Amino acid sequence: MARRKVKAPVEPPSLVDYADPEPSAFASMLGGLIEANVRARPEKERDFEVLVARVGIFVTDIHEGVTLDFKGGRLVVHNGLRQRRTLTIRTDAETVMSLSNLKIGLLGLPVYYDSVGRGVAGKLLRGKLKIDGLLPNVITLNMVTRIFSVQ
Amino acid sequence: MAVKAFSSEWAKEFKDEVNRSSVYKTAAKGWKWTVGLVVEAEPDKHFPEAKGIVMDLFDGEARNVTVGAASDAQKCDFVITAPYSRWKEVATKQLDATRGMLQGKLKLKGDLPTIVRYTKASQEMTECTTRVPVEWPDEK
Repeated sequence: MARRKVKAPVEPPSLVDYADPEPSAFASMLGGLIEANVRARPEKERDFEVLVARVGIFVTDIHEGVTLDFKGGRLVVHNGLRQRRTLTIRTDAETVMSLSNLKIGLLGLPVYYDSVGRGVAGKLLRGKLKIDGLLPNVITLNMVTRIFSVQ
Repeated sequence: MAVKAFSSEWAKEFKDEVNRSSVYKTAAKGWKWTVGLVVEAEPDKHFPEAKGIVMDLFDGEARNVTVGAASDAQKCDFVITAPYSRWKEVATKQLDATRGMLQGKLKLKGDLPTIVRYTKASQEMTECTTRVPVEWPDEK
């Protein structure tokens, strides 16, 4: 008697890899957040597919950093800051959370005029949020913000 | 009057504190998931058995907060796990919950974009824990 083959559900391939055998909690959290965002939202997936950049994020009040190595449709997350970064964001834990709560407005630009946006802009002006490599990479920063934002 | 840490009395006080917070009410608008806190045992700190706190939170209101087995809390939509002394650090403002999560001192399970979207609500909830006077078993 012929039997029908039952196909096992296929897990989609992971979009995020971790460079270190034991990713830090911060690395796992950012990698997990980006993967969930990209899978849930087609507009974030489009950015993720084309983004090629190395972005460092250093959290000043826990003295921990990660490097997000975007490779056009794939992300490798490293513990700590690696060399040859396109952008490096240095700020405290609360602001990292605020960055991921920035709303995205017209033309895909982050919104800096609501309360979260004003808070982020204020920290940038007061030097509590530092972005190395900002000027030549504004477009990259906007793309990263869109991928990173949960809004 | 102080209540025993992570007891049913503590759960009631905590729930009332959350429901008194206008900040929480606004920040948690739209929240519709259960949250479980697992408090891992630390016998040397006179906290001999793990406990689970199950929080039924809905749209800016704490509908119910109960203390029971850790396995009950593990069934919630979002689960935060830490040993007793870490939770004590959070409740006494020695550890910021956001930093604790980024450092892996508090282990979070659940949909990350959702919890990040409600960062302000979770910060205020932490504030609420600090406003409940507690009798800590390792301070007797």
